Amino acid sequence: MSYQLLRSALIATLLSAPYPLAAQTAVTLSEQFIEMTAVTGYEQTAAEQLLAMLPGTTLDRAGNVVGVLGTGTPVRLLVCPLDEVGYVVGRITDDGYLRLRRVGVGKPNLFDQGLEGHRVTVWGAAKPTPGVVSIPSTHLGRGRSSIPDRPFDVDDAYVDIGVDSAKEVQQLGIRLLDAVALAKRPHRYGKNLLAGPEAGRRAGCAALARTYLDQPDVDGTVVIAFVVESQLRHAGLRVVSRQLGPFASTWFINYDPPERIIDEGFGAIKHSDVPVQFSETAVETINLEEVETLTTQISTGIKKHP
Amino acid sequence: MTLKCGAVIRSLVSMVVLFTTTLPASAQVDSSRVEAVAGLLEELIETYGVSGDEQRVRAVVERHLPAWAKPRVDESGNLWVRAGQGDPVVVFIAHMDEVGFQVTELLDDGSLQIRQRGGFYPHLWEATPAFVHTAETRVPGIFMPRDEHQVTPTRRPPTGFRVSVGMSSRAATEALGVRIGNTVTNPKEFVRLAGTRATARSFDDRAGSTAQLVALQSLDLNALDHEVIFIWSTEEEVGLVGATAVADELGFTPARVHAVDTFVSSAAPVDRQNFAFTPLGQGPVARGLDSSSVTPRAIIDGLLELADGHNLPLQLGATNGGTDGTGFRDWGIPHMPIGWPLRYSHSPIELIDLRDLVVLSDLIQLIAEEW
Repeated sequence: MSYQLLRSALIATLLSAPYPLAAQTAVTLSEQFIEMTAVTGYEQTAAEQLLAMLPGTTLDRAGNVVGVLGTGTPVRLLVCPLDEVGYVVGRITDDGYLRLRRVGVGKPNLFDQGLEGHRVTVWGAAKPTPGVVSIPSTHLGRGRSSIPDRPFDVDDAYVDIGVDSAKEVQQLGIRLLDAVALAKRPHRYGKNLLAGPEAGRRAGCAALARTYLDQPDVDGTVVIAFVVESQLRHAGLRVVSRQLGPFASTWFINYDPPERIIDEGFGAIKHSDVPVQFSETAVETINLEEVETLTTQISTGIKKHP
Repeated sequence: MTLKCGAVIRSLVSMVVLFTTTLPASAQVDSSRVEAVAGLLEELIETYGVSGDEQRVRAVVERHLPAWAKPRVDESGNLWVRAGQGDPVVVFIAHMDEVGFQVTELLDDGSLQIRQRGGFYPHLWEATPAFVHTAETRVPGIFMPRDEHQVTPTRRPPTGFRVSVGMSSRAATEALGVRIGNTVTNPKEFVRLAGTRATARSFDDRAGSTAQLVALQSLDLNALDHEVIFIWSTEEEVGLVGATAVADELGFTPARVHAVDTFVSSAAPVDRQNFAFTPLGQGPVARGLDSSSVTPRAIIDGLLELADGHNLPLQLGATNGGTDGTGFRDWGIPHMPIGWPLRYSHSPIELIDLRDLVVLSDLIQLIAEEW
């Protein structure tokens, strides 16, 4: 399947989702956003999903997904980060295993360890391919020197997709530099809790998406941007600023770029977050009530006041 | 060796299906049989049963027994099915339980203290989704990351970790039905990989349970001139508890026992390969030696000869760990464990080749009818 066919399939899936777009709540959108994979610099599939989800949005030169509400001045920017730290295929071994290179800024000591003994998805040209990251067999370690006690590192990772040769890897459409990320399985628990990798950032984007879908009447122009490469050099944010700025104000949602990025073109700065527990783990947890609250805050903040 | 009717037909089919090329032996298994095994295995995998809490798994096995079977559940929770009559009595035993955790305390902040059930690397469960299996339902939660997870210098959590079900008081957690003694797992999913490979947690020993069930479904009762007992056992992972009760009940009666259990393979890039090197997709494995059992060479050779005579691929190896057959050794019963090669044992991503399971089920049937 070509990339175009894959894109069409993803869009078709979204359009046949059980919830009509207009009926999507920030809660159901949060689950969909957490399921997405958008390794920094490799956000194209997620961006295509967003374009289908949010009619009227477009891709800009950087690959950001941008929607515009209203016209005239003032021009305000609302922005959330679409991407995540992840991995790409760094090498394919003769016996069909994939070695990895991390993409994105540094992460806590146990970030890579989330891979060990867990399922991943390889985002190849033809289709997403499931794989697992090897772990020494428990039984074979008994009575022998065991695995080291330092945290697992990306350099320890062998991805097993169930083949025995590099040729079979190639036949599955997997190439060097294809993106690899943990298999995403949002997990509800407690009264209103939702866990998953990057849950906070994704829920922030969900709140922004819900606001865009509501198409509120706004004062002047509101640019809503889901930006790429926030985990690399913030190139996505820079392009939005250069292409659509200067802005009277910028509202960062679950996004805290360094001060050196923020110049006067961003105008007055405001930050809001969906708070998280267990941050930067595979069970980063949000309270869905907080997503609804943030959605309301955003809507109230940009609506035209009588 | 005299062949009986069912075995003759199977042997002819085997020759057509398996004996035609020089490809690795399991490679020639019919795809419809792979899919049938996968369907049953998926159902068993996605049923939860930490040691001592196997009743859900037992119900699935019972549901798939052939109509002629008259199952019995003993006081230890083991499921028995007897076929045929007379000596020699041959026993097959696969276990229904899986590794996991058990709740030991409900803490004031609503979280759960847990203990490990079975041997595995606990850090693989840290910061992953969880299910607490109560009497009525399963309550979702998470295995909490250690407090210092941002800066920790160690792979293993030095003081263990707890489970959160999202409640902030003991009373609220109790209101969900959570009690001391409930078992805890992470969510399981049977996932197909490339070709005939698959990954999931608890192939050990749902795969063995599946192979034994498929063999029983195919068993030609007319071909049996002796008694064969099929056991699906409990609490293997915490000390062969169910199997020991079976061995004690049968005493000196069996002529031979076959544990049907995982052969932990070192055919993986992260394991040392000086033993247990049994590639996936090249057939089931006769387990000649493990951490608690040695099979006499004559018995191994007898099995290899039997399989070879019917063109069933069979690998031979030594691995680590023990099986349900171990307790029978205390009654002097010869033990010839059989299994399938598995990578990444007792982890959330155990990995197998489904063709090996199909051939394993054929091997079980062959042993039952012919050996």
